[in-house]
Amino acid sequence: MKSPDVIVIGAGVMGAACTLELSRAGLKVLVLERGSVTSGTTGAGEGNILVSDKEVGPELTLALRSRNKWFEISDEIGGGFELEAKGGIVIAKSDHGLSNLQKLVSIQQENGVVIEALDSEQLHMTEPYVAPDYERAALYPQDAQCQPMLAAAHMLKQARALGARVEVRARVIAITSDSQGISSVRTEKETFYTRIVINATGTWASEVAALAGSHLPISPRRGFILVTHPAPNLVRHKVYDADYVANVASSDADLQSSAVVEGTRSGTILIGASRERVGFNSTLNISILRLLAAQAIALFPVLANVQLLRVYHGFRPYAPDHLPVIGEDSRFKGLFHSAGHEGAGIGLAPASAELIADQILGKTSFMDASAFSPHRFAEQS
Amino acid sequence: MITIIGGGPAGMSAAVAAANAGASVLLLESSSRLGGQYWRHLPENGLDSWMGQSALQSDYGAGFLLRNHVMSNPKIEVLCGAQVWSVTKEKTILVNFLHDGVSHVVDTQRLILATGAYDRTLPFPGWDIPGVMTPGAAQALLKSSHVLAGKKIVVAGTGPFLLPVASDLSKAGAEIVGLFEVNKLRKWFAYSGVALRNYKKIVQGGRYLGALHQRRGYAVISAHAGAAGELEFVKVAKIDSRFHIKKESITAIPCDAAAVGWGFTPDLSIAQSLGLNLIAGQDTYPVVAVDEYQCTSDPRVYAAGEITGIGGSELSLTEGIIAGQAVADSEMGINRTATKRKIERNSKIRKKQRRFANTLLKIYSVKSGWKSWVTDETLVCRCEEVSLEALKRSIKELGVTDARSAKLLTRVGMGACQGRICSRTVVEVIAGEQNIEVEVQDFISTGNRPIFTPITLGILAEGSKPYQPL
Repeated sequence: MKSPDVIVIGAGVMGAACTLELSRAGLKVLVLERGSVTSGTTGAGEGNILVSDKEVGPELTLALRSRNKWFEISDEIGGGFELEAKGGIVIAKSDHGLSNLQKLVSIQQENGVVIEALDSEQLHMTEPYVAPDYERAALYPQDAQCQPMLAAAHMLKQARALGARVEVRARVIAITSDSQGISSVRTEKETFYTRIVINATGTWASEVAALAGSHLPISPRRGFILVTHPAPNLVRHKVYDADYVANVASSDADLQSSAVVEGTRSGTILIGASRERVGFNSTLNISILRLLAAQAIALFPVLANVQLLRVYHGFRPYAPDHLPVIGEDSRFKGLFHSAGHEGAGIGLAPASAELIADQILGKTSFMDASAFSPHRFAEQS
Repeated sequence: MITIIGGGPAGMSAAVAAANAGASVLLLESSSRLGGQYWRHLPENGLDSWMGQSALQSDYGAGFLLRNHVMSNPKIEVLCGAQVWSVTKEKTILVNFLHDGVSHVVDTQRLILATGAYDRTLPFPGWDIPGVMTPGAAQALLKSSHVLAGKKIVVAGTGPFLLPVASDLSKAGAEIVGLFEVNKLRKWFAYSGVALRNYKKIVQGGRYLGALHQRRGYAVISAHAGAAGELEFVKVAKIDSRFHIKKESITAIPCDAAAVGWGFTPDLSIAQSLGLNLIAGQDTYPVVAVDEYQCTSDPRVYAAGEITGIGGSELSLTEGIIAGQAVADSEMGINRTATKRKIERNSKIRKKQRRFANTLLKIYSVKSGWKSWVTDETLVCRCEEVSLEALKRSIKELGVTDARSAKLLTRVGMGACQGRICSRTVVEVIAGEQNIEVEVQDFISTGNRPIFTPITLGILAEGSKPYQPL
């Protein structure tokens, strides 16, 4: 495949979703991945497919569409990636948290999010181990979860069956263009000729954009995740404090943390989600682990006696206005970006891929995607 | 103050050398007593119990004496039962450890890592049956809990360690129904020079054998359970030099325990979390890179013993002496020229011992043919129950190309052991399936374990109390 219709850079969940979408439309797609499949942020993700943490706006529209597309994809490719509508529960105890929660809930409901309000008794029936001082909660049955690495790998498997090719250990070192736009992509070993390139490299998207001579302001926002020994049935949903939504929306470079706690199929419990902008720094920070553990115990006191098995970290692709970058580059015709989804990349991948495919194929989309356009950064560069 | 992690031969000798040179030492040992795997469970005190243990291992006396040196030295503080769960680098080095159910943190300027090694395992059909274990586990049961792994035991695999284990088990009353060394004696002739120079050690090895009969060129290729699920017999086969089974040579040997081990894997978790430079050891598996003073790529961190290359207790003792002296010199601000002679003398001994150790590693090597004994149903990862077939399928269908993608897509190495047992195997299987050579980086990429030992979230949340050395 020397001259594919499309070259997708990055074999994470975003690259996989774009590849599947375009292969289904009959295009010849070549995926170039510098490491192995899902070796970037997808491999460090929890697999969140959330609508609950989205404030009303274009991202919520994208999230609702994407959530349903995940279930369609699961049907299409025969599952295999542990997709489950686990449901999210946002809990609150302080008056402040409570009023924030109520505000968020009412406006989300008006915009198509399904929410059931839980009183204290209902909350403690649904999540018996939640701390007794939490008195209000909102249950989001649409919130779902998947195993993101398997999701990406199975989408790529399906795409290969439709004619796509995936090259791993193929680092892109140059993207060239001519008067008509993008013309070729060079790896350390080979040169490929194409008129369409999709930059799906997440946290590394600005590096790849720079190869073409363009600019994207995407930087890493580090997060740690704690994984416990199997402790089945202690935590049944994805549970987090109402303050979490405020943290996601914060632009502060300093540490933001509010625990998101969830049980998984294998019985382990995952605890996220710290957020800090420290570049690609991999140094373990014990004080963050400590804070996450303390916050998780505040939600579920029973967790104090559960053993921590491992910790890992990942780098979310952070855009300064917290919106993903989806669409054609402002300077280079044929260069498309789908990156910068921060902590929501797994959930938003299928609908983002749909928007990209619509733009490539000249189709009308389910939403106005101009809020996501890379053009919004054009003046800054 | 100098902190030493690991109270085996290397850690103990480093402690004594550093203390004798005038430094204060905190020695952290995870188990309840000093001695490490090699001198496992040295007696608390008293000559009588020493004599008792000594019957089990011929150089227990040396361990006993070294232990007493460590315990009686006022400059050394020994903390047994101290499980280091995290080490981080800031301006100083912070060592977090659990002791008596509380997490402490020690803030240290200089650190010696002497974390040793654990048995290397290879998967084979039935290796997950109760009763099948490593030689190290069989020995630990015997020495720490005074429990015999079985009445009729097969000891198999490769390496000089099989002999003392078989000997100990036999002396403790077990019937060794088979002692199988896969590598052939004749390989020694290729190294006859080294053999002559080290004939004493070889004779010592022979002494372990006593009445035991060791068969060379054979391996346990499968284990089989009876109706109760417990081990009933193992199958043993003649193995060629590339570790392929010779046809028509398979026999069944009834037994109730099998101790099967394939040499050792250095325990690099702490070294890796400190970001120390690792290089390929004799058998491609990574080891900590050290200079002539046993200093690692971080000038504050020294390493001694098995983590710098599998080499046995005597080499570990020598490396400990050098590391202890060198670290004390830099701690006390002593000019190295003053102790140069001392270090040079030990360097010569180290060189000789290393040469011998490398020869042993060549003779008792593991060849890739072992993969032909493994069936598709055999579990590669016991913690997460991932079969060889599942791993192979992930390579073919899901695009797995390395151990990391295998972990993410099949869960190998995600369980309780965190890949300590299986990751080495997984790396080799994946390389074999793709017909590529294993590189040291492949192993290194599987070794990232920032938390070395499980701790409860409650203890983590409470935070570590600063430890005040006595």
